[in-house]
Amino acid sequence: MKSGAMRHYKLIIFLVLGFISHAVTVFPADVKTDISQAEQNAVSEGIDNKENNEFDFDDEFSGQARVKVFDPLIGYNRFMTKVNDKLYFYAVRPLATLYGGIVPEPGRVAIYRFFKNLLFPVRLVNNLLQLKFEEAGIEIDRFIVNTTIGVLGFGDPAKSLLNLDAREEDFGQTLGHYGIGSGFYFVLPLLGPTNLRDMIGKVPDYFLIPIKYLDNDEIIAAIFAGDYTNYLSLHIGEYESIKKDAIDYYTFIRDAYEQNRRTKIEE
Amino acid sequence: MRNLFYAVLSVIFLCPLSIAGEKDDVEKLLKSRIDAVISFLQNKELKGEEKEKKITEIIIPMFDFSVMAKLSLGKKHWPGLSGKEKMEFKNHFVKRMKASYLEKMNLYTDEKIVYKAPVKIRNKIHIPTHLISKGDKISMLYKLYKAKSGWKIYDIEIQGVSIIRTYRTQFDQVMSKGTFNDLLLELKKLGNK
Repeated sequence: MKSGAMRHYKLIIFLVLGFISHAVTVFPADVKTDISQAEQNAVSEGIDNKENNEFDFDDEFSGQARVKVFDPLIGYNRFMTKVNDKLYFYAVRPLATLYGGIVPEPGRVAIYRFFKNLLFPVRLVNNLLQLKFEEAGIEIDRFIVNTTIGVLGFGDPAKSLLNLDAREEDFGQTLGHYGIGSGFYFVLPLLGPTNLRDMIGKVPDYFLIPIKYLDNDEIIAAIFAGDYTNYLSLHIGEYESIKKDAIDYYTFIRDAYEQNRRTKIEE
Repeated sequence: MRNLFYAVLSVIFLCPLSIAGEKDDVEKLLKSRIDAVISFLQNKELKGEEKEKKITEIIIPMFDFSVMAKLSLGKKHWPGLSGKEKMEFKNHFVKRMKASYLEKMNLYTDEKIVYKAPVKIRNKIHIPTHLISKGDKISMLYKLYKAKSGWKIYDIEIQGVSIIRTYRTQFDQVMSKGTFNDLLLELKKLGNK
């Protein structure tokens, strides 16, 4: 039997082939439309000057807030978000809570760091692809220090002793950096929000994950599942908090995902 | 003439100084407040309600909730509301904002906060901070502007996600489909999910 992770990437490749040309030509990165600006002007004309002064930094939010996330699969996406929500509360969270009860937090943080250290090639290559040489250098320093003094990456002395932060970059961000837009929004089973560009980005990134080169698919899948459970055990309560803030948690999560990615690309 | 020349000269040279000083002062102010919040959060002897009350007293005056309420509805919807509606909306919005902020601080402040150099953009100062939490760095950007009563927070971005922007999209969604009463109803439901 092929592992879940492998099937997942086959699905992505399938989607990529179907939509790649479409996305690249139709959705450039800056969907911050001029239309929204025109609309904005039309609205402000109707308001007297006093109101205008009170809103003198309204524009900071109006431009981007009006960017519509391209979401043609909203029916499916809403459905999958609901499925993931149920999965989270009835399966994933109980499992992560149980695991968190067995392994103390410092241990889980160390495991998280170990996997993060293994993703060094992803960060390095994508920093280089974006010509961020200083950041790439920092990643190399971090990898050397954390793999040796940090004992295979379980510790993070590069941060605690040298104050070097990881420079998170992935291929989705690299594509965004060169002007490729998000494409359509998509909710993956279990893994949650993504978009066309970031799904495409997962393919080259996947080849940079050392775990992929283990020769047993079941073990690869088990490691990914373990890493994911470990990660979630450190973040219980965050999803719940997001839900409390949201009138419609589907659009809330969707917009937050896109804003977060945009910020990361701009950095 | 010569006096004028010196006056202009001193303005030119002193301005950047005063601006730099202002930035640092605002950061110092924010830092002292947030540090106080964290010390209360980490204080195991203080219990639930008392803890919240103490924290609220320190940090809440830093926020300009009136402006936040206004911005979250935006030019599109705010001016159309009556005075009574504005008050009602503001009350519920503020309640949720307070609770939400406390929740976030509770989730993330197990370790420490790093303050980066503040950025001044016209009459606003943005203060980037990082929370170091569970092996990860969470960025929190405090956005302040100069109100009559001093520098006030008008938005916070957590991991690049602006609170005002996300609320605005959501409120717009409700207001476009329904009425102000629908919005109020939804607002009352927040926090109970």
